[in-house]
Amino acid sequence: MSDPVVVDRVTKRFAGHTAVDALSLSVPSGLIYGLLGPNGAGKTTTIRMIMDIYEPDEGSVRLFNDVAGGRTHSARIGYLPEERGLYPKMRVLDVLTFLAETKGVARKTARAKSLEWLERLGLADWRLRKVSDLSKGMQQKVQFISAVLHDPELVVLDEPFAALDPVNRQVLLDTVIDFRRRGKTVLFSTHIMEHAEQLCDRLCIIARGKKLIDGSLAEVKRTRGGKHLIVAFDGSQGGARQVFADRRLVAKLQDFGQQAELELAPGADAQEILRALIDSGARVSHFELASPSLHKIFVDLVGPDAATAAANPETGRERETARA
Amino acid sequence: MHKVWAVIRREFVERVRTKWFWISAILGPVLFAGIIVFQIVQSVGGAVRHIAVVDSTSADYGTRVVESLGASRLIRATRVPAGPGVIDSLTRLVEAKQLNGFLIISNQLTETGKAEYRASNLSLQTIEELQRALNRLLVKVRLEERGVNPAVVEYAQSLRVTLDQKKIARGRTTEESAGQSFIMAYVIAILLFMAILLYGVNVMSSVLEEKRDRIVEVLVSSLRPFQLMLGKVCGAGAVSFFQFLIWGVSARVLISLRVPIARALGADTASASSMTLPHVPFATLAVFMAFFLGGFLLYSAMFAAVGAMSSNEQEARQAQQPVTYLLMISYLSIIGLTNDPSSTFAKTLSVVPFTSPIATPVRWTAGSMGIGELVLSLAMLAIAIVGVTWVAARIYRVGILMTGKRPTIKELVRWVRTA
Repeated sequence: MSDPVVVDRVTKRFAGHTAVDALSLSVPSGLIYGLLGPNGAGKTTTIRMIMDIYEPDEGSVRLFNDVAGGRTHSARIGYLPEERGLYPKMRVLDVLTFLAETKGVARKTARAKSLEWLERLGLADWRLRKVSDLSKGMQQKVQFISAVLHDPELVVLDEPFAALDPVNRQVLLDTVIDFRRRGKTVLFSTHIMEHAEQLCDRLCIIARGKKLIDGSLAEVKRTRGGKHLIVAFDGSQGGARQVFADRRLVAKLQDFGQQAELELAPGADAQEILRALIDSGARVSHFELASPSLHKIFVDLVGPDAATAAANPETGRERETARA
Repeated sequence: MHKVWAVIRREFVERVRTKWFWISAILGPVLFAGIIVFQIVQSVGGAVRHIAVVDSTSADYGTRVVESLGASRLIRATRVPAGPGVIDSLTRLVEAKQLNGFLIISNQLTETGKAEYRASNLSLQTIEELQRALNRLLVKVRLEERGVNPAVVEYAQSLRVTLDQKKIARGRTTEESAGQSFIMAYVIAILLFMAILLYGVNVMSSVLEEKRDRIVEVLVSSLRPFQLMLGKVCGAGAVSFFQFLIWGVSARVLISLRVPIARALGADTASASSMTLPHVPFATLAVFMAFFLGGFLLYSAMFAAVGAMSSNEQEARQAQQPVTYLLMISYLSIIGLTNDPSSTFAKTLSVVPFTSPIATPVRWTAGSMGIGELVLSLAMLAIAIVGVTWVAARIYRVGILMTGKRPTIKELVRWVRTA
């Protein structure tokens, strides 16, 4: 079976800049796939092209091995947009029923399913209230329900965990993990690496519209890490500083005093460092050859980009939408 | 189709649920009932006017005026001989509402035909009655002066012409009077203008709401923009038909209840039962509905495009102006249309699709339009609807996903070309 989402060298230009640049990715069935990148990297534009909201300038998107586009398959796809939108004056139950109907669900089924989901996410008492009476977090949950109500095979979530408190975030995380258990495919975007690390089976990191790396979480960690060392001292550091300064052994160093994180130089052996440290008279209390956190990989990869893009996220967004 | 249906239903249900829908649904019949009650109350006799006739004529014409006015149902007159201070005291009586007014006649009446009427309220009806009575008197006096036998004069004046008005329209002669068909055409024009503007703007604000509240992105991922626009326009159209239905049914019910209402108010039931709505032939109703539908489709497509290209209410209000002006042309032409429905001006307006939704029903009601012209007008409108909807749908499709500044004309043209 081919992958439910295949993006093939898509490019999307808005007047003045290229939002997505020859990006290819492939989301395998039954997994949770993370699309990661700093603000303004082109995540939302990519997702909108997948959802058939924008037409790519170049390249193609195939969903369920069909070029017909997301709208044709809307009954099989659930979508949570980055900028949430619900009718503020409608009742919660009516909004959910209506949105499910636009996906082709029969009215009766839509109502029953809405009630079921409202119950599940603890909003049953709010079903007859107007959307505008709900808190932001609750609205977010209602929007989430609208994306999954019709039991789609593929769920596309654009920044699903933003603006949620920890309790509600956990509820949604559990729900997403439950999808995977039931064999659904989940594609989600985030710039918060902790979420990605908790959830992703596979991931793709993009910046400035270009892919920097993709693969399974383990693969990414192996290729980008494995040479990551955490050392902690118990009182005396002896000659640790000289050892760390040795460019043949250590490529990068973050020294926190009693603890240090370092990246091994190419070809260096961790055991050699341990021996050198003990020889230098340092008392080592913790020595761990760790895989780096996704956060570290992300910052290493997109560091300067992330800084510039995040400095002015609002105008970045404005530009992106204003010139479609 | 199921999806479009869902959009239509949502649009309809949500709009009918609002306060405003019911306020205007109730206000219409209340206004109508008010008109009926007002007419009944007027016919009850509250309108009888008490006037004094101040007589300074040497031949005592005042008595004859009072006699002649005695035949009127509306006027009760009393003769007052002229004298110093009479005018002042009568003026005070008028101000105290004890008298409606007073007529002043002098010897001048028979010489120059001059008389004077002073009143707090110069109603046309009273003045007409007074003039008629004075005219009859004058003719009689003058003929008598030349020695004509008063009995002959009486005989000559005893008969009055009644001019029956009948309208010839489309091969049939109807009882409708000139006034009636004028008023009817006028009412139809105003109704059409209001309905198209009101419900067109409704479509616009609904589009704007979806855009502003970011709902449209979810919708567009499962519906084609055209399906969405179609659903919206049809939904708002259904609401307006529903509103017309409420008004129409309640008007019928009120008319059928006019006799009991009159009885409850203690009025003459006979005069109430003579009060009817002008008879609306089925063909006129059909033309009205067809052109309302056409005009609504044409204008709401434009309003939908305006909503799609704006980001907030303020922008929308500015951007809707050209569309509103287009509709205003027909509104401002209503008087001209109703006065002379067969002029070249009126003919032109009923062919141009942007004015025909109002101009054609007006001309049709006035009876100055043949079937051929009607078909031409409908055909032009249909072509325009297809063309305008095509353009509007393209603007709509690109516009609904835009934020930021309003597009320029140049950009709009590009949207239409590339969408």
